[in-house]
Amino acid sequence: GKWATTQPKSPPTSLALQYMDATYSLQLGQQWPSVRVSLLCEKKYGALLNNFSHESALADLQAQGCMDFIGHTDQDAQPFLDEASGGEPEGSMEQEISSSVSLNKSDSVDEELSPLQLSPNIKCLVFPRGDITRFKAARPDGFGLLSYYLMDAASVLPCLALNVQQGDSVLDLCAAPGGKTLALLQTQTIRFLCVNDASVSRTMRLRKVLHSYIPKELLTNDRIRITSFDGTKWGEIERNTFDRVLVDVPCTTDRHSLMEDDNNIFKKSRTSERRQLPQLQTELLLAGVEAACPGGEIVYSTCSLSQLQNQCVVEQAIHLARERHGIHLQVVSLRPLTHTFRKTFHFAPDLHLGEMVLPHLAANFGPIYMCKLRRLN
Amino acid sequence: QSAPHNHKPAAFPRQPVTELSRCALLDMGFTDIQAEEVYETVSKAKGANASKHALSTLTALFVLGLNPSTVLKMLQKSPELYGVKDSQLHQRIGNLRKLGLVEGSLQRVVVHHPQILTMPVKRIKNVVIFLREKCMFTGQQVTDILRDSPAVVEENPAQLEYKFQYVYFRMGVKQAEMVKSRLFRFTLDEVRSRHCFLERRGQYQTPDKKGQTIIINPKLNDILCADQAAYLTDIAKASAEEYDVFQKLMVREWKEEDQRQSYTEDDSDD
Ligand SMILES: C[S@@+](CC[C@H](N)C(=O)[O-])C[C@H]1O[C@@H](n2cnc3c(N)ncnc32)[C@H](O)[C@@H]1O
Repeated sequence: GKWATTQPKSPPTSLALQYMDATYSLQLGQQWPSVRVSLLCEKKYGALLNNFSHESALADLQAQGCMDFIGHTDQDAQPFLDEASGGEPEGSMEQEISSSVSLNKSDSVDEELSPLQLSPNIKCLVFPRGDITRFKAARPDGFGLLSYYLMDAASVLPCLALNVQQGDSVLDLCAAPGGKTLALLQTQTIRFLCVNDASVSRTMRLRKVLHSYIPKELLTNDRIRITSFDGTKWGEIERNTFDRVLVDVPCTTDRHSLMEDDNNIFKKSRTSERRQLPQLQTELLLAGVEAACPGGEIVYSTCSLSQLQNQCVVEQAIHLARERHGIHLQVVSLRPLTHTFRKTFHFAPDLHLGEMVLPHLAANFGPIYMCKLRRLN
Repeated sequence: QSAPHNHKPAAFPRQPVTELSRCALLDMGFTDIQAEEVYETVSKAKGANASKHALSTLTALFVLGLNPSTVLKMLQKSPELYGVKDSQLHQRIGNLRKLGLVEGSLQRVVVHHPQILTMPVKRIKNVVIFLREKCMFTGQQVTDILRDSPAVVEENPAQLEYKFQYVYFRMGVKQAEMVKSRLFRFTLDEVRSRHCFLERRGQYQTPDKKGQTIIINPKLNDILCADQAAYLTDIAKASAEEYDVFQKLMVREWKEEDQRQSYTEDDSDD
């Protein structure tokens, strides 16, 4: 066929696999084979319910056997508090980096003891563990709004971690195509939402998504602003402003890179772009930190397992925020969150910084890495 | 209560038993219950020569040295055996001998897979030709395959070819190893599931042109012959839950792959 001549000898998907075998087998050890087979098999979706649709899909989806993993967490989530006071083992790396950055274990523990608050309005339905049923595409209601958005259910976690409060102003720095933006909007507590993505074409897609899910009257200029700036420059535009900032950075998109040769970051021609990712990610996180107001909270997230793109970026950003801008950051523990959802997702055990959803065949979500920071000054 | 057919040794002293009676069956060593079962089955069979064919079949099987219980089990497994003509049966047994199934092996084959005696010689020959010419098995290897996995003769030739090619090319396994691991006892899906699971976990690699791999592949024999629990704990080192979901996913993947392929075949018609 027409592809035969352009097919490279090592397709980018193979290069991606080689790379991941080399790095993740060291990083994940014994768990890598289980994660690997999951990445190479069909992933599971979640259906983010659209509260703005006039026809709720909830009953219909429940009849098909799904359930809302957020509202329906088991009630024994609370005994976690006992475990925590009993001295949860924490990563030893935390001590190591606490010498250079403001990482304080006792600060984290305070957070662990405070009860987990989740927006009651975000609902995401998933088929049970081990069930491989697929979702049907959502249909528009009488007003043209779709009743649910299909996305990796683990992608909702960074939005939950952001813990948006009534009246907050929120920045979604790398927002397209908009799955997480939609999840944030479901909370219905945001006073002002700033949605940005550097790619103009992807921002167009984002607009379409928003118009398919959110009524026009909620997309007015006083409520939402959609831009296509280079996020790394945000600090030059708008500093010390937002209560909440989501920094969902471009990354090696591990699952995509293993499955699709099109638009693959492991293409030979994109090698330097790929190598520069951690730097870009750090700049984006720093810009997000600058955009947050003192006391504001920032969630950094990726859909890669790579330490270099996850923990290392966060460490580096914490360091640079202080060096360059004199901003002190505190790492906020996400243990209450991961504990609450431990039946739905496989979380990587003992990460020294942040939390990570590991793909698993029975719950084939993720990978998602997230780390929450609070700006102290 | 007399049987409808009695032997008449006095009238036909030099003739062997030609009709099947309960008595004759008891004489052959069947128990009362077994004799009754055989008798009932044969009486119900249609055709004028049913009883004659049944008798010759029983005789031929006893000549192979099989005991009555074993013979009964074979007939239960493959009742068509009752109706096979004497001459055909001899030809088929002779053919199996010619294929190298010596005493012991021959018995093993017909006991495990009595259907093999209901098949035309031609069909068996075709399978043998296929194994020798398309798959390059040696004569001895073919004999071993027939001995260890006689059901191979039932397989659809296209399926058989696909299974062979899968193991040869995708798994990089040579003929001797296939014979040793009794490959043909397993369905294609069993082989593919176990292999693909290891491959996607990074525990199996297709050898390159020089036959080399970066990791050491587990032996085909170890992959196939272990029961599922042992395969999971010793070879894959995974949980039953994972493998369970994996198999469900594979069934769907393969089905969709087949559908895609039949679409593209349709496309290429024009
Ligand atoms: C992981 S995706 C975001 C997914 C999105 N948050 C969602 O949930 O649907 C990363 C995005 O970052 C955007 N991006 C890349 N470089 C950027 C930059 N310098 N500033 C802002 N956005 C950037 C890409 O266009 C891409 O859409």
